[in-house]
Amino acid sequence: MKIFFIVFSKEIISFMRSIALVAVILYSFTADIYIAGAGMQIRPRNVAIGYVDNSGGGISQKILSHFHQPEFINPKAFTSQQALSDAIFNKEILVGLIFSSNFEKAYVNGHNTKLDVLLDATAASQSFTTLSYLQNIILNFEKIDIPITIKSHRLFNQNADDHSFMALAELLSIITLLTVILTAMVFVKEKEEGTWDIMLLMPVNPKIIILAKSASQVFIVTIGVILSLGFVVFGAFDTPLNGSFWSFILLTLFYGFSSAGIGLFVAAVSKNIMQVAQISIAIMMPLIFLSGAWTPIYAMLPIFQKLSLISPLRYYIEGSESIFYRGTAFIDLLPYFGGVIILGIILYWYGFKKIGNLF
Amino acid sequence: MADLEVRNVTVKHKNLTAVSNISFEANKGEIIGFIGADGAGKSSLMHAIAGIIQFNGEISYNKYVYHSPKEAEKIKADISLMPQGIGLVLYDTLSVEEHLEFFADIRNINKDAKFLAYKEKLLHMSGLSNFTKRVAGNLSGGMMQKLSLICALLHRPKLLILDEPTTGVDPLSRIELWEILDTIRKEEGTIALVSTAYMQEAEKMDKIVLFDEGSIIAQGTSKTLIDSIRPFTYQEITEYKEDIITFDKHSYSLTPQKYEKSEPNLEGLFFINALKNNKTLPIVDIGQRKSSDEIPAMIMQAHGLTKRFGDFIANDHVDITLKSGEILGLLGANGAGKTTFIKMLLGLYPIDGGELKLLGKTIKNANDRMELKSKIGYVSQHFALYNDMTVRENLLYFANMHKIPLSSALQRIKRYSQELGFDKYMDKFPTEIPLGVNQRFSIAAALLHEPVVLFLDEPTSGVDTIARAQFWQILHKLKKKWGISILITTHYMSEAEYCDKVVLLKQGKKIADDTVKNLHKLHPEAKTFEDIFLTYFKEKQ
Repeated sequence: MKIFFIVFSKEIISFMRSIALVAVILYSFTADIYIAGAGMQIRPRNVAIGYVDNSGGGISQKILSHFHQPEFINPKAFTSQQALSDAIFNKEILVGLIFSSNFEKAYVNGHNTKLDVLLDATAASQSFTTLSYLQNIILNFEKIDIPITIKSHRLFNQNADDHSFMALAELLSIITLLTVILTAMVFVKEKEEGTWDIMLLMPVNPKIIILAKSASQVFIVTIGVILSLGFVVFGAFDTPLNGSFWSFILLTLFYGFSSAGIGLFVAAVSKNIMQVAQISIAIMMPLIFLSGAWTPIYAMLPIFQKLSLISPLRYYIEGSESIFYRGTAFIDLLPYFGGVIILGIILYWYGFKKIGNLF
Repeated sequence: MADLEVRNVTVKHKNLTAVSNISFEANKGEIIGFIGADGAGKSSLMHAIAGIIQFNGEISYNKYVYHSPKEAEKIKADISLMPQGIGLVLYDTLSVEEHLEFFADIRNINKDAKFLAYKEKLLHMSGLSNFTKRVAGNLSGGMMQKLSLICALLHRPKLLILDEPTTGVDPLSRIELWEILDTIRKEEGTIALVSTAYMQEAEKMDKIVLFDEGSIIAQGTSKTLIDSIRPFTYQEITEYKEDIITFDKHSYSLTPQKYEKSEPNLEGLFFINALKNNKTLPIVDIGQRKSSDEIPAMIMQAHGLTKRFGDFIANDHVDITLKSGEILGLLGANGAGKTTFIKMLLGLYPIDGGELKLLGKTIKNANDRMELKSKIGYVSQHFALYNDMTVRENLLYFANMHKIPLSSALQRIKRYSQELGFDKYMDKFPTEIPLGVNQRFSIAAALLHEPVVLFLDEPTSGVDTIARAQFWQILHKLKKKWGISILITTHYMSEAEYCDKVVLLKQGKKIADDTVKNLHKLHPEAKTFEDIFLTYFKEKQ
């Protein structure tokens, strides 16, 4: 236990002496998360719309008046379809509307009215969201009387606020990435400098040294998480926390160790810091893809759904979202804890075997 | 006016002055030798002359004067630089032939009949004619250096700058490298600047420039330099005096002594210089050890020890024994398998074949090693230390790892720092202190738990003469006071003299194993150990 404490504090001192590293950690847990939260947009914003109006105005202008800031820049008139196409080609305009000369007449007469829309599909999400806005606007024009009204109830995230959601998702990714890289680095740095050999030859169980070293990095990340939660997630974005703060910290701790296990694995197979960077990315990417952070698990191919079971990040993300948004009780979080812990133990076992042994 | 004149050149790396105010001259066809320890400024000066780093002062080559890399651009076609490190300029996956093609192409050489003949000649001189299809990654260290040299010679440079081309290379290849160099400079009239870590090579140079801590302490021919210190060199003086330095059967003193004179060597210049600067060797002293374990007569018995890395056999059935109270030197070039052997002894590499007995115990697996850990001290290559902790913190950390109680740890650290003379560096970081001090302090780290055997992996590599002398004094005192056994690896053949017994490795095989006395007896004609080993090297060719 004394050895554990000594190694642990040595690592913390080493970390604090490396000013660049401290700066990177502080940046990642504050500014980076803020930028991710504040900058991510799913709704359209400042979308440039152009139109050619041959219908003589009236209905067409009524439709166009619905496109206003901040989502859209006031629609710009073009004299010909060719000019509009050129503007789209030059990326000046994202969505172009063409009202034909018989547009108004056909609408009033109740004929099949056609509105041509040009979309720049390279900015797919923005242009297609604009299209759905347009469809809603046009639906409002229809005089059909359907006896159904939709009354939606927003659960877990009442304001449908994606800032806090994005900030939290970014935080979870940062935790994973930093824990893996920091842990791998403390071991590989020792391997590079040759001190790891010396440590193995000390009359101390290497498992204790490995645990202490990774614990120190998990500790550093946990401090970062707390800072980030205080200043950014709760402070700047007012993310709701419906569950228990401490169960999130506990889950983070376990997950930290699980990620440190990945770091240990990376350290075991790489010879220098350069390789740590390469291998970490090669391992992390599939784990993040499979975790459900970017694509919901249920939307994956069945084989990937199965594979996602081996990503500790999956359990962490599901667990964290349950705590933050659903306010799940601790007892119902146990499966997530279980997944994180079991995978962590397997990774550690491999790491111990690979770098923690003499022959 | 000389063909190459270096005038008052100073090179700075940020705030650190690498060399200050250096001046020397060289003429066509001369070999100028730069001798000095790592960090003495040899490489910095070479890079300045080659025009690849900024410097103050001026350099004139063939009457063309330059002050900066930009101005040196004009004469780059005449210059060739071979940087330090074995095979550094080579590409592992290219063959010998492809290397020559590549270097000819980037130098834009017209591949006419004259060039082809010259290329053949270089290949022949380097003994690589039969290996043109072999990729560089599969060449031995010596062959790599020969290939690097002929690549550097392809465009017939007039100013050849070689940074430690022979360090860590086997003795035979070293001789061949010098032969190539000698032929070329005679035929082409090349000025060659060569730095080296081996004093014995000095006699092959026309002029020697001795470096110490960024300045030149002496220059001239080998003979004039040795003559200059003749009045100060004595036979070994056993009596201790403040103004005398004694090392390796020689004693040096600036004040006249009543003892008999002896024939000096170049190393003496460094000792005389130290005396001139009032830097006498701090006396190292080793106190008695606290613990007194029963030490078995046989410390280490390796029988047929074998290690393979894929197809490559790093150690091929090596038998070595280390007796109690013995200093055993494991000698060999880079890649001969010295480090691999030590790592197998320590359990850092798995053993692929053979039997190992340590302190009377047969080693089968890691569990057998647990209780031996407290009896073994190990200093690895490049002194594995934590660079972000001070010397004191490093030592305390190691002491803690050895579970030494704090009070006795502090006591021992204090004692060693005084005895080994690094107490004024205690609160500095390892990166801030000279290599020689780092070496002593890593020895202290390995001695904290008072081991019965020390494994030292190239501890003297790159360390200056004086620090090296001191280091060997420490080892001999340790042996005397503690009865400790030492296994030490080195690529300096001359260091064999300080061991009790030596084992010579070549490409993973043992080619000689005898006591130093016996070896001298068997080869009475040999002047130095270098010569003795050369006979073994040739025998097994």
